[in-house]
Amino acid sequence: MKNFFRWWWGILLAFSLLAVLRVFLPLPFSNEIIIFSIYTMGCSFLLGRVGFISFGQPAYLATGAYATAFYLFYFGTNPYVGILIGILAGLIMSIIIGSFFVRLRSDYFALVNLALAVIFFYLLQKVLVGITKGDNGLWFLTNIASTPILDLSRPNHFYVFAFLVAMAIWAFYKYLNDTLFGACCLASKINEDKVNFLGYSNFKIRLTGFIIANTTTALAGSLYAVYLGFVSPEMTSSHRAADPVVVTILGGVGTLYGPIVGAIAYTGMKDLISKLIGNWELFIGFLLVFIMLAGEKGIWGTSEPLLRKLIFRDRKK
Amino acid sequence: MNSGEILTVKNLNVSYGEAKVLFDINLGVKPGQVVACVGRNGAGKSTLLKSIAGFIKPLSGSVTCDGVGLIGLMSYDIAKMGIKYIPQDKKVFSDLTVRENLELGSYATKDYNWDQVTDYFPKLTQLMDRKAGNLSGGERQMLMIGRAILGSPKVLLIDEPTEGLAPSIVSHLRVVFGELKKKSSLVIVEQNLPLICAISDKVYAIKEGRVVTKLEGDLVKANVCEQYL
Repeated sequence: MKNFFRWWWGILLAFSLLAVLRVFLPLPFSNEIIIFSIYTMGCSFLLGRVGFISFGQPAYLATGAYATAFYLFYFGTNPYVGILIGILAGLIMSIIIGSFFVRLRSDYFALVNLALAVIFFYLLQKVLVGITKGDNGLWFLTNIASTPILDLSRPNHFYVFAFLVAMAIWAFYKYLNDTLFGACCLASKINEDKVNFLGYSNFKIRLTGFIIANTTTALAGSLYAVYLGFVSPEMTSSHRAADPVVVTILGGVGTLYGPIVGAIAYTGMKDLISKLIGNWELFIGFLLVFIMLAGEKGIWGTSEPLLRKLIFRDRKK
Repeated sequence: MNSGEILTVKNLNVSYGEAKVLFDINLGVKPGQVVACVGRNGAGKSTLLKSIAGFIKPLSGSVTCDGVGLIGLMSYDIAKMGIKYIPQDKKVFSDLTVRENLELGSYATKDYNWDQVTDYFPKLTQLMDRKAGNLSGGERQMLMIGRAILGSPKVLLIDEPTEGLAPSIVSHLRVVFGELKKKSSLVIVEQNLPLICAISDKVYAIKEGRVVTKLEGDLVKANVCEQYL
């Protein structure tokens, strides 16, 4: 029991605080934070554990979103089925794309993923306009059927669902971090030659990490689609490419709770600062420069050691 | 393949781009033998080990282990065959603990008997939860060797294991290598002549990419080896 609590206490505390935050924040804001955190988690794992920076995350987000959207617009009405289809689409695409992309060096990996995002944008906006409706997007909010227990067509029920999904995601990534696979990812990031000398294939490690990270991103896309009842090519435009990377760095690269902290900070600043100044992105830019110069640890990466010291010092007393 | 040899290198030629660094290298290692490669800096000793380990693809020649050709295999496949390479740089997975570093070695080989590691290097028992990046040079070398011996490898390729280490640790490694040869064959690249002459069964002297002499038995003496450097 003690070990169980010791393993879960961080996640329970983080999500309890998130639940408390819901009391003070508007529902749309809370939903945005949850989904954006999941979106960022994939990017954070890729960058922090596997060592790949990706500016193509919007492509994988759009994969999940549009797969869900196609189902709900053209074929069915069950949002749960739509989300599963979105996850499956993300998984398949990650396997196919990853088999080629993870062979590249980190800098080329970043660029080729950015190119993928651009390709997706034009595919969705122009080439497949017959089925995507281009810039007009796909509207399917009224198509989403009511579901038992948690009715995802209702925002407050959707919040509970997204909250539970996020908790499950965080538990999964915490488990991954504690497993040998997590150690293999980190080892491959630190020194890929030595990983080979131990008998591991860097390609397999990276591909598995890539698939996990981008399937998570596709899940976030599916959640966006169900929550908004609308998708458009805008979600994969190149000026959105840096969003998950910015939030990852803001929160703390490779940390478990960095994506949540980063999503709260980014969404909060976007919401608050935009009311005060027109160019809120300028503020974010300066903040990022400050973070990078101050040690690259991000908000949670800097706060976590201080909190641990505080908690353990109190325990000793 | 010469009979009785666990590792055979025949007419190996290696280059880095246009620059050829190894010329017709021939080398043989029998089970339980310690074979040393000596030579000046830049002679090609490390290149030889990297070529055997699959890190560098040779121009021509053959490398066989128990009759199985190694040329063209990926380095991780060669490692799985029981040929472990311990590089010169003493870089471990610094963000992982000692325990996690050993777990990586165990999982790849399915050998979770860490007693064989801590018997050779008792100090590692106290360092299990320390991040490997915080270890001293000697402790890192212990960890790298300890991690490599998991799975009872057939051949250990060790590149300059005593470089930069304190004399006490060098003495300890001398004892460890003496014990290791009972289970594995060792190919050691070293510049510490007294050490390798004390433990080696065979010494190859390499000069400008060529084996200039092979010494065995009574001829393996520091003053004999030195003339070939």
